[in-house]
Amino acid sequence: MLKIDQLISGYGSVQILNGANMKVEKQSIVALLGGNGTGKSTILRAASGLIRSWKGTIEFNGEQIQNLPAHEIVGRGLVQVTQGKDVFPAMSVTENLKLGGFILKSKQQLSDNLEKVYNYFPRLNERKDQLAATLSGGELQMLCIGRGLMSNPKMIMLDEPSAALAPQIVLDIFKNINRIRQDGLTVLVVEQNIRMALLLADYGYVIKDGVINVEGDSKKLMYDESVKESYLGGTKANV
Amino acid sequence: MFNKLRIGKKGENIIFGTFVLLYIGWCVSSPDMSIESLKSVLTIGLSVGIIYGLVALGISLIYTGLDVVNFSHGEFFMIGAFAGLTMFNLLGNQDWIFNIFPDAYGWIIYVVCLFTAFVSMGLFGVFIERVFLRPLTKKGGGYTVAGMGIIICGFGLSVVLINVAYLIWNPVAKPFPAELGLPMEIGGLFLPITYIWMIVVGLSVAAGLWFFLNKTKMGLGIRAVAYSKDVSNLVGINVPLYISIIFGIACAIAGIGGTLVGPTYQVVVFMGYIILMKAFAAAVVGGFGNLPGAIVGGFTVGIFETASSFYISGSHKDLYAFLLMIVVLMIKPTGFFGVQVKMKA
Repeated sequence: MLKIDQLISGYGSVQILNGANMKVEKQSIVALLGGNGTGKSTILRAASGLIRSWKGTIEFNGEQIQNLPAHEIVGRGLVQVTQGKDVFPAMSVTENLKLGGFILKSKQQLSDNLEKVYNYFPRLNERKDQLAATLSGGELQMLCIGRGLMSNPKMIMLDEPSAALAPQIVLDIFKNINRIRQDGLTVLVVEQNIRMALLLADYGYVIKDGVINVEGDSKKLMYDESVKESYLGGTKANV
Repeated sequence: MFNKLRIGKKGENIIFGTFVLLYIGWCVSSPDMSIESLKSVLTIGLSVGIIYGLVALGISLIYTGLDVVNFSHGEFFMIGAFAGLTMFNLLGNQDWIFNIFPDAYGWIIYVVCLFTAFVSMGLFGVFIERVFLRPLTKKGGGYTVAGMGIIICGFGLSVVLINVAYLIWNPVAKPFPAELGLPMEIGGLFLPITYIWMIVVGLSVAAGLWFFLNKTKMGLGIRAVAYSKDVSNLVGINVPLYISIIFGIACAIAGIGGTLVGPTYQVVVFMGYIILMKAFAAAVVGGFGNLPGAIVGGFTVGIFETASSFYISGSHKDLYAFLLMIVVLMIKPTGFFGVQVKMKA
């Protein structure tokens, strides 16, 4: 579904990605792992059109989408879900969700999708008239995922859904991500929390210094020593 | 100086309240003080204030959407006045309008002029944004990064627009003789009916903007873009288009302001500069970047200015707006409705 080939990109004149390759199959959950500053989020930002790809291709559903304007990529069904702090704090939960469905043309579809999201996250339904600024960390993350689902995407890319959350809430959110996959969506999860992400995912990529270092089945990666190495940087002796 | 004392929010309010009471006391002790004079001061103050408010609204809107202060906004105000005047001169001697609406002739033409100013300045604003400001953002990462360049560009644009207007309309002040009805007697003064028009039209424009921002889908998009361009991109909003729309709306509102002022005063090429400065003061007083604050700030500056020139000294009329701004910045730097940057728009 999503195919990234020899992607080179970065911010300003700083090159972050040095030719990353990865592939996400339809209806699968793929985890993209790596330490701080290795280029995980940069891949997402390039795929969703927030930064330019300098070289290489990004293919989505058989179409090349690199360097398309961000809103057109959303229109094609590839949606990035940001970390929980990126909501609109001065708007209510419903308004935030409606913004997620901004590209929808019909009002009927908007309210259908709203129902769907409240079905995934009943907590949001309880809080629907509150300002987003008053939500807790877990609820914010739910709101972000819900907002991503509002535009009828074919694939969502989650940027660290477990960041700064209690383990119980992380479990809850990951269960919901699994449910979203079962409903037919493709999911790419960028994570720092390796264990949780690999438990959830079918396939994993580990990124280091802007290239994919290790890849493989998630069951296999779980016990792979090289994951730990590339994650912590440095050689085995340092681990 | 108040920062060092750490007076806190309550202290701020107490000191500010003391200033207000002292000022009111000064006005009341003036020999000109009477209920009658107060009525006319309030009418003039509110009508001038709504003009400052409308321009301040545009400045605040551009500030929330683009993260820059547009220093050429006064010139959009001025060109808007000329656009309205041009339309007025076109329609002014058309007999058929008079034949169809013999009673409402004057104000129908005036409404058409307002509408012309609104539409033409909106389009002109979009043009300016696309042609002159947008290329500056190419190098950096959008408006926030290119901010300083755009501010300088705003000053340059202001000079250029004044001179273009100078070439087209020459520097002679032009009357705008809209026939809106007989003057009204308010508080012993005969005031042109246009003062009432300013207040009514200005408030309706502000209310319309509020409705547009809060009740329509496009308004929702504008508020989203004002908060975060990245997140707006990710929900599928065409951010470059929306930035143009924001700039266009701000300029269109300034154009309405210009046409509103026209009949009461005159239309001159240099009218934009002082309005920009006072609108800036109004925006600061109301809380920079806060849209209701801009209108309230405009009213405050307008009333303060009129009352001061009436009761204290009329020869320093242009001074009072800035005096108020300095006092507000000293005591209550966030303005009346200070917004946290997080919650703007």
